[in-house]
Amino acid sequence: MSLSTKEYFVKETFKSIKRNQLMSFASVSTVAVSLLVLGMFLLMVMNANNLAKYLESQVQISVYMEDSASQNTLTAAEKSLKTMPGVTKVTSITKTQAMAKFKQRLGDQNRLLDALGEENPFPYSFDVQVDKPERIAQIVPKIDEMKGVETAKFGQEVVEHMFKLTKLLRMGGLLLVFLLAMATLFIISNTIRITVFARRREVSIMKYVGATNWFIRWPFLLEGMFLGFAGAMVASLVLIQIYLALQEKVYATLAFFPLITAWPFLAYLSLFLIITGTAIGAAGSCIPLRKFLDV
Amino acid sequence: MLLMKGISKTYPSGAVALRSVDIHIKPGEFVFVVGPSGAGKSTFVKMLFREVIPTTGKLFVDGVDVIGLKPEEIPFLRRQLGIIFQDYRLLNERTVYDNIAFAMQVIETPYRQIKRRVAAVLDLVGLRSRAGDYPGELSGGEQQRVAIARAIVNDPLLVIADEPTGNLDPETSRDIMKIFTQINDSGTTIVMATHDKNIVDSMEKRVIAIEDGYIVRDDAKGVYGYEPEH
Repeated sequence: MSLSTKEYFVKETFKSIKRNQLMSFASVSTVAVSLLVLGMFLLMVMNANNLAKYLESQVQISVYMEDSASQNTLTAAEKSLKTMPGVTKVTSITKTQAMAKFKQRLGDQNRLLDALGEENPFPYSFDVQVDKPERIAQIVPKIDEMKGVETAKFGQEVVEHMFKLTKLLRMGGLLLVFLLAMATLFIISNTIRITVFARRREVSIMKYVGATNWFIRWPFLLEGMFLGFAGAMVASLVLIQIYLALQEKVYATLAFFPLITAWPFLAYLSLFLIITGTAIGAAGSCIPLRKFLDV
Repeated sequence: MLLMKGISKTYPSGAVALRSVDIHIKPGEFVFVVGPSGAGKSTFVKMLFREVIPTTGKLFVDGVDVIGLKPEEIPFLRRQLGIIFQDYRLLNERTVYDNIAFAMQVIETPYRQIKRRVAAVLDLVGLRSRAGDYPGELSGGEQQRVAIARAIVNDPLLVIADEPTGNLDPETSRDIMKIFTQINDSGTTIVMATHDKNIVDSMEKRVIAIEDGYIVRDDAKGVYGYEPEH
């Protein structure tokens, strides 16, 4: 392909976009909105996934001791917990510490505890951290059997719920992505259809003077790709702004919430949206052309 | 240049446009195809650039088996042809120059060559001073001259004209025919479908008459009129 031919293609592309300003604008907007929704969904799914993984890695066992357990029993229990295979850390929490912690969590409503009077219902406990979540199932029954142990609990249920939710989100997301992609494809192919229809005379003359199908196709293909690309750019920019603002809010209020770090995550996501948008644009322009090229 | 053997065309509707046509046209010939409306002239002409595919028979243009062409080979056949229509088929939003240059851009001719060649064909059709005008600013005759310029700008072996003077008055038609004669004098073969009796009679060229899908006459120096003895 010669340089003047490439120049011709680019010129034709932008001439056509300018000629159909309104429709081009509509296409870019639709692509932008669709990809924005898609991007937000991806952000949600990926963060939910991240949260589930984080929770899983954070799994710890809470070992609650009997109130009747003597200091000796407590020391012995701590010792045997520490020597268990896979246990990485054992923290003891006294009754007073547990009470203080709960008071802090209640915040303004800690007056509710006044009803308890001098009594402290919290048991002495140990927080046991393990290296791998799979170990929990073997460790917990052993701890349960130890002397002085009332019960051993762990957050497996929460994690399982979290994973179920992520799975649901992912499946729903996939369906949504598919529907949005179809809608975008439809809108872009309609825009190109209008462009091709407006230029069908030109296309037929091109065929009579011996233009190859690819020569005719290129400007339309470029137009579709450009519309998809422009829409994806808009969607990416908006998405980045939204995520950065969200991140700021989350960090200000929920300091330890494991949100995925903005960069380079957002760069990859934008790249994905831009490639998707451009590809949808290209596909959208190929569909209506087939009919008109058949002269 | 052009060889038809046993060409027939039946449209899907059942209408028969051509019946077992045998024609041989030599390079450099100027041939009129005449006949009443619906006789099959248009089908005859459209077959040459493969807009219509014959139902049976063989068709060669400059040695190329037109019927056997693959879809991707059709553009290369058409680059050897110059096609002219009754309704000019110009692009109204492009200037005279661009309408002609367009045919060269499409086959990816270098820019500088386009400029030189377009100027030359504009001289030939006498429209050099109108290069910057739009088709809407030209008369019918001038528009047809632009269409002719576009048809010959790529130096075709064969010019195919379908009723090129159908929309023009007799005087303008004569001017157009002078241009065709010039093109033919330079060695280009011309096949022209027409209704125009005056033109056919004045040119004294080969005339192929089609009626109801049959070739009813093929005279080396023919006239339009129907001769009783045939």
